[in-house]
Amino acid sequence: MIVPQLVFWVMAVIAVLGGVGVIASRQPIRSVLSLVAVMLALSVIFLELSAQFVFAVQVIVYAGAVMVLFLFVVALLGPMRERATGRLRFQWWLGILVALVFGGFLYGMLNGLRFRAPAKVDLSFFGTVQQIAAGLFTTYLYPFELTSLLLLVAAVGAIYLSRGGRTASEIQREEEDRSA
Amino acid sequence: MPDYGQIPVGTGTLDARLVLGLGALLFILGTIGVLIRRNPLVILICIELMLNAVNLTLITFAAQLRNLEGQLFALMTMTVAAAEAVVGLAILVDIFRVRDVDDVDELSELKG
Repeated sequence: MIVPQLVFWVMAVIAVLGGVGVIASRQPIRSVLSLVAVMLALSVIFLELSAQFVFAVQVIVYAGAVMVLFLFVVALLGPMRERATGRLRFQWWLGILVALVFGGFLYGMLNGLRFRAPAKVDLSFFGTVQQIAAGLFTTYLYPFELTSLLLLVAAVGAIYLSRGGRTASEIQREEEDRSA
Repeated sequence: MPDYGQIPVGTGTLDARLVLGLGALLFILGTIGVLIRRNPLVILICIELMLNAVNLTLITFAAQLRNLEGQLFALMTMTVAAAEAVVGLAILVDIFRVRDVDDVDELSELKG
């Protein structure tokens, strides 16, 4: 059957076009929406690779929550257009050069890849919520608990950073109110 | 010797090299974005693109080896990416409250 390859190719084309859109569009809002397209295309490929739970998490948490956070920030900061020329103009060529060299390394690695024989696993249960949960709550319990600590620290840090501190003029006005 | 790179998908198979190549391509696109874009928000978005490419690679190897650890690692990566996005955006909003920045090269006050 040709269907798995067809689905993969369609999603791969969408993902690559979205990736080009992320780095090529001048307005941040278009970059964010292109990244949402990339994530949804990748989530379909996850489903093909029998990662059902990661598929659901990708759609709900990543495309649903993280990207909405990005959209909120874009809406909060207003339209930001990038100027055509920056202060470091050689950066552009250097960046392309570094990426090309890095791409050459990745291509070489991909060509030299020797796949190991897969384990004998019943594929109808592979990647289900039960199996993920069995892994997360037994073997990888400590890393799992540590990620919850990481999320707590990130939440506290975000609240601390965005707690509207008073500006100098506001403090002065409060002092004037108190003396009046 | 059988080709272990063929991942069974439904009724057919999928070549793991194709999926790994897609992951590498998306990672390079993200790298180019981080290197040549100057808007701090777009740089954060490009980092998210790179993290997604890495997730795709992890899940491809998990499917090829029939080993669930790749998927668990991908879930951990998603958690770290969410934390990174939250803190990065908070810092960005904090900077923008003081002044408008449309080029990360303008943030050079710490230069010695």
